[in-house]
Amino acid sequence: MKKNQIPVMKIRGLTKKYGDVIGIKDLDLDIYKGEIMGFLGPNGAGKTTTIRACLGLLNKTAGDVKIFGLDSHKDSLEIYRRTGYLPGDFGMYEDLKVKTILKFLLSQSGVSDETKMKRLAKRLELDMGKKYGNLSKGNKQKVGIVQAFMADQDLIIMDEPTTGLDPLMQQKFYKLLREERDKGKTIFMSSHILAEVEEVCDRVAIIRNGELQVIEKIDSLKEKMGKKLKIEFDNHVDTSIFKMEGVEDFEIDGKWATMIVTKNLDEVIKKISKQNIINMSLETFSLEQLFLTYYSDGGSGR
Amino acid sequence: MRSILVELKNNWIGYLVFLVVMALVVGGFVQAFPSVGEAFEDDLEGSENIEISVVDREDYQEITLEWIEKEWAHNYTLKVGMIPQMLVPEDTIENITENNYTYDLSIENEEIPERYFMVLAVGEGEDGNRRIEMIGIESNVERSGGLQAFGIDYSDLRSVLSMFWGIFFVLLIAIYIAYISVNSVSKDYDDGRMDILLTKPVSRRRYLLEKFFTISSYTLILLTVIGLVTVASVYSLGELSTVSVSTLFITTLLSWPVFLVIIAATFLAAVYLEDSKKAVGFAFLFVLIQFGLETVGELTQGLEYLKSFSVISYWDHNSLFFGEAINWGEIGLLFVVAAVLLIIALTIFEKKDVKG
Repeated sequence: MKKNQIPVMKIRGLTKKYGDVIGIKDLDLDIYKGEIMGFLGPNGAGKTTTIRACLGLLNKTAGDVKIFGLDSHKDSLEIYRRTGYLPGDFGMYEDLKVKTILKFLLSQSGVSDETKMKRLAKRLELDMGKKYGNLSKGNKQKVGIVQAFMADQDLIIMDEPTTGLDPLMQQKFYKLLREERDKGKTIFMSSHILAEVEEVCDRVAIIRNGELQVIEKIDSLKEKMGKKLKIEFDNHVDTSIFKMEGVEDFEIDGKWATMIVTKNLDEVIKKISKQNIINMSLETFSLEQLFLTYYSDGGSGR
Repeated sequence: MRSILVELKNNWIGYLVFLVVMALVVGGFVQAFPSVGEAFEDDLEGSENIEISVVDREDYQEITLEWIEKEWAHNYTLKVGMIPQMLVPEDTIENITENNYTYDLSIENEEIPERYFMVLAVGEGEDGNRRIEMIGIESNVERSGGLQAFGIDYSDLRSVLSMFWGIFFVLLIAIYIAYISVNSVSKDYDDGRMDILLTKPVSRRRYLLEKFFTISSYTLILLTVIGLVTVASVYSLGELSTVSVSTLFITTLLSWPVFLVIIAATFLAAVYLEDSKKAVGFAFLFVLIQFGLETVGELTQGLEYLKSFSVISYWDHNSLFFGEAINWGEIGLLFVVAAVLLIIALTIFEKKDVKG
């Protein structure tokens, strides 16, 4: 993707070990300007470790991370000037008002303009007059989201950003993400909520046991994974007609036939149309199904 | 500067409460001094029954004791000891037939030893049984009070202030300062805000130095208030003729470098351990070890060298309250130790993984 473009984040051979335990291993990943990159994996897969190593919060065992062309560890302050971050386990001063906290964090980013901060708080229905300690988990998460975006930085990195948000607020958040992307902001977010990644991300990287399994555009990933075709015939069918390129996992159960079609869909439909069909469904793989496929067969995909 | 304000805003209630409590305790303690002094004036039981006169000779002290007679007594026993309780008397003279005795006390190393003299009447009771009764206790040194063994003179405000500063106030402040120092860093880990604070364009060095500056400044304000309250309280007692304003104030303020060492040491624990419970435990242990070393070194002959390992002993409050010259070398050493500990803490903090 975007071969002529210099990536905002360029990760090469990133490895992090905790003693003998491997957190992440030999990870390569490019994230480009103006895209939302989803970072998908179950708990303990290495998502948080990757993010924290990229931000210089963890020392690297090996590898190289460049953000805006700068070294993630040596030039971390310059990177922080241009990067908003929402950690997975976000917490703040319990006894301080939200407004005090946000103003403080804004000033720490070297920004004095509070316009975006106020606008985001209003949009996410966040009461800035309340003490942080008195907020619900969802509202605390909103504080985290506001602080990640309020300094209007070029890159936003978020670890499980929708934790604690209700579905309505999640939709508002997704809209915000798309708007920020459309303004040219780059967003790198980890998640284990597949629907979320499917809905907002342009590309997804799937990580398992600290190793990257796949990086792909969501649309092309689904395309590669194929479509599930399910047909009910009213009489016996000669299965040999489906022995063709692009048809896999063919199964027949009574009058029902199921198969995965990865290509030649047009030809498959033409052949089916010559039979007597009672019922038929064509199902696109959801990301969840893709995800389960990756994790059920040792990560090799289909 | 904003992080300093946030630190203060987040903790101001605790800081203020401790400051007020300490001011009340110190001020109240000074106000209680006259009655405390009086209470200990007649501390030596039966001392009014004994007349003592002391004549200094070349290498001994001639101590003449004369006591009231007891009609029933056949003779008297004199016990000499290092403490008034006479648990292990170092000398006992029995069968004294008169109601007076002259005791020669050897002087060693040109220092007059402090001794207590207990007079016992020995005779026969009305029931025909042996009867022993204490007439009284007296001392060769003009000191009153219950802690003579420690050289405390309750009639002198300076002694009392020095003792309570050395034992009580400094310990109390040290434990509180250690606690808030650890918390100011460890709570950022525990409450999940360290990641956010350290991914702002503010260096880890600046983060820690601002914390250090905040707590050091608070400690200085605390000591200033306590110093002013002490001066005001002493003034209201009319005791400023014995202790000067500057001595009181400067002695109090000069304890600041001791607390700087404690703050730096606890910061080191906080950034190394990254866990508030462990770090608080270490901080308290550090403070208590400092006091333990000073106390054992002070009270135990042959173990005086232990004091040199305690930062508290470099603030010589005993001498300072008596207006003796300030040892700037020792004060400077405390600043150096604080700086070294802080540099180690900064180095570890800059290189270590941040606990998630």
